[in-house]
Amino acid sequence: MKILKALIKKEFLQIIRDPSSIIIAFILPLISILIYMYGINLDTVKVTVGIKNDDPSVEVQTLVKSFGHSKYVRSKVYDNESSLSEDIVRSKLKGGVIIPNDFSSKLSRKQTGDLLIITDGSEVNTANYVQNYASQIANKWLFTSKHAPYASKTIINLQMRVWYNQDLNSHYFILPGSIAITMTLIGILLTALVVAREWERGTMESLLTTRVRKIDIVLSKYIPYFTLGMLSMMFNVFMCIVVFQIPFRGNLLVLFGVSGLFLFTSLGIGLLISSVLKNQFLASQVSLGIAFLPALLLSGLMFPINSMPIFFQHLTRILPPRYYITFIESEFMAGTIWEIVLLNSVFLTVLGVILFGLVYKKTDMRLTK
Amino acid sequence: MLTAEIKNLTKTFGSLAAIDNLSLGIEKGKITGLIGADGSGKTTLIRLITGLLLPDSGSVSTLGLDPFTRRDELSLKIGYMPQKFGLYEDLTVIENLRLYADLKGVPYDFDKVLSMTNLEPFQDRLAGALSGGMKQKLGLGCSLLDTPEFLVLDEPSVGVDPISRRDLMKMVRELITPDTSVLWSTAYLDEAESFDMAVILDKGKVIYNGRPDGLAADKKEFESRVIELMGGYKREESLIAKNYQPIEVIEECTVLAEKLEKKYGNFYAVKNNSFCINRGEIFGLLGPNGAGKSTSFKMMCGLAKPTGGTAKIMGIDILENPGKARSNLGYMAQKFSLYGSLTLRQNLEFFASAYGIKFVDRKKRVDEIIDIFGFKEIEDQKSEDLPLGFKQRLSLACALIHNPPILFLDEPTSGVDIIARKEFWNHITALAKRGVTILVTTHFMDEAEYCDRISLFYKGEAIAVGTPDELKKKADTDNMEDAFINLIMGAGVDTK
Repeated sequence: MKILKALIKKEFLQIIRDPSSIIIAFILPLISILIYMYGINLDTVKVTVGIKNDDPSVEVQTLVKSFGHSKYVRSKVYDNESSLSEDIVRSKLKGGVIIPNDFSSKLSRKQTGDLLIITDGSEVNTANYVQNYASQIANKWLFTSKHAPYASKTIINLQMRVWYNQDLNSHYFILPGSIAITMTLIGILLTALVVAREWERGTMESLLTTRVRKIDIVLSKYIPYFTLGMLSMMFNVFMCIVVFQIPFRGNLLVLFGVSGLFLFTSLGIGLLISSVLKNQFLASQVSLGIAFLPALLLSGLMFPINSMPIFFQHLTRILPPRYYITFIESEFMAGTIWEIVLLNSVFLTVLGVILFGLVYKKTDMRLTK
Repeated sequence: MLTAEIKNLTKTFGSLAAIDNLSLGIEKGKITGLIGADGSGKTTLIRLITGLLLPDSGSVSTLGLDPFTRRDELSLKIGYMPQKFGLYEDLTVIENLRLYADLKGVPYDFDKVLSMTNLEPFQDRLAGALSGGMKQKLGLGCSLLDTPEFLVLDEPSVGVDPISRRDLMKMVRELITPDTSVLWSTAYLDEAESFDMAVILDKGKVIYNGRPDGLAADKKEFESRVIELMGGYKREESLIAKNYQPIEVIEECTVLAEKLEKKYGNFYAVKNNSFCINRGEIFGLLGPNGAGKSTSFKMMCGLAKPTGGTAKIMGIDILENPGKARSNLGYMAQKFSLYGSLTLRQNLEFFASAYGIKFVDRKKRVDEIIDIFGFKEIEDQKSEDLPLGFKQRLSLACALIHNPPILFLDEPTSGVDIIARKEFWNHITALAKRGVTILVTTHFMDEAEYCDRISLFYKGEAIAVGTPDELKKKADTDNMEDAFINLIMGAGVDTK
């Protein structure tokens, strides 16, 4: 017990002395929260659309105006078509609307009026936005114009209610997700270096000739970095809830409990990489490549798991972030749902224990060369 | 009574037998020196005795215990100091001591260790900021905390100055009990000669085991007997020097230091250092660890900016025209600083291009160097896999690839065995005869004897300059080691 205490104390002293661990634990999360908060936006965005109107009729002018009034569209009126298409080519415009000169006269004759919408297919998402906004604006205009009676009637009235995230604010799930990313980073990247560092610097060789047991070495790595990780987690949660006012409907105890389990698995991955490779450079590369990036891309934070190919859907089952992100999103937005909490906790515990066992097994108590 | 008993021990790495069917007994209550060339298996044997490595076959009994199955019990009785500094550089001196006291289960009573190591004033300094000699003393102090029954030291005196080396020896002798056994591996034959027992290894086998005086009567004879046992060294004409193309020099001082000074805050790392080295002269910078030798070196070749004064290489000011001044230099750094993952040939090619040898001449020059240095058979090996002696020769080859008129050697032989050192100095002295100017630092006092002139450095200042004989005369002694210690200690008293 005394040995373990001494080793843990040593590890804490090293953490305090080493600015990089403090940066990874507190500065990096802050930067990532700021990026997720202000840099990444999965919500609807305002697009610039060019309008070329060949129809001199007064009522079509109101259609052009209604493009200008939409909160999703910034409109720009063009006099000739070639400069409009030139601006699309130069990416100054995300799309264009061209109203032919017979548009209003056709409508007046109760015929179908044509409206050309040009979108930029090189950015598919934006192209969809332009298409939807333009048709919505056109339809709205139609129902308020004198041609309304001739428009086909909708007989179903759709009422929309969004649960958990009424404003469809993507920050409400991205920011809690960023906590998961940060904890993966701390768990894997920091610890990937610590065992390898001892081997590289030769301190492990000295340590091994003393009375230390394998379990002392393993625990003396788990415990300090677990503490650091949980401190960083608290800092993250504070930033999300208090500073950025992300609504939290769950239970803080449950949040920290499951986060602890998740951190336990991440530490396991990092320490396993470190113990096996015994080389800091390799360990940091490997932890980024096989641990961190999949956590970002395959966890369901950015891309929904059920839209992935079947193989990858199954692959996500062995990735701890998958369980944690499911949990943390629902904990923040929907509150504590015990079914989700328990199911994910069980998976995290199983993964964490397996990893702990592997770390223990792979911790060498002898040199190999 | 035997502290360690080794029977028919074999350990191979890949196809190489590091320890080859070795049997040996290490006597209780004695200091046993372990000597051998690089790659003779010293470190491997030590690691097998302490249970850090598993053998392929054979048995070891250390303090009556099998180190491979009962290491837990053994670790309570053994003190071990690895070759690499094994303490935490980002922990302070006292934190390292407390950690090892806790690991060994002894109380925090460091008065004796701190006063023996002279580390008392530096308790709160980070271990990484200590000089080489102090680090080794701290490492030894930690391994002696629980007064072990068996103390195992793997080359504790590598890169350590003569005064610290003497301190290390004193510490061991004073902190052990008459029953303590010590196994001390060393590259210093004078050290080994002073021990109770000497074990000489060669290619994983014991070639001598007995009292040092059973081999020879005095230090000098001991050295030549050991060299003989290790395969012998025959001085041959240096091909390296023979193939050197002398360069016309008009300057009187090919290397000139003018009032060089380096100040960190209020601390002078180097103070008012001036000297002039003539063509073909070997000029040695000697001094304790942390005296400012390396800082002087770095300023001389433009790697560090002096806070005062300047240096001239072949008459070219290093501050005004560093590129041109450096093109006259071959530099061999303290640590092996070549590219480990490149092959020997690729390293030479890289340095050939870095020193500005034209592409068309490069292959020819590299072939020539490989031929002269006898690298033909190993040219495609990764340089990190080469034995230490070869690494050091490769470093010299890289420094000489552009046929420079001046060579800067910063502890070129640190950790290298006696035969490789003799060969190395054979080349250096022959090169000097061909007109190469040489500036060198070393902690081996036998190497200091090869210098034409020596500048003795202490606390950033040159306290004595002269030929080896002049310095010995000044210190009133007949050997270089005592001259070093006397002159430094004398200066130390003066400044206090």
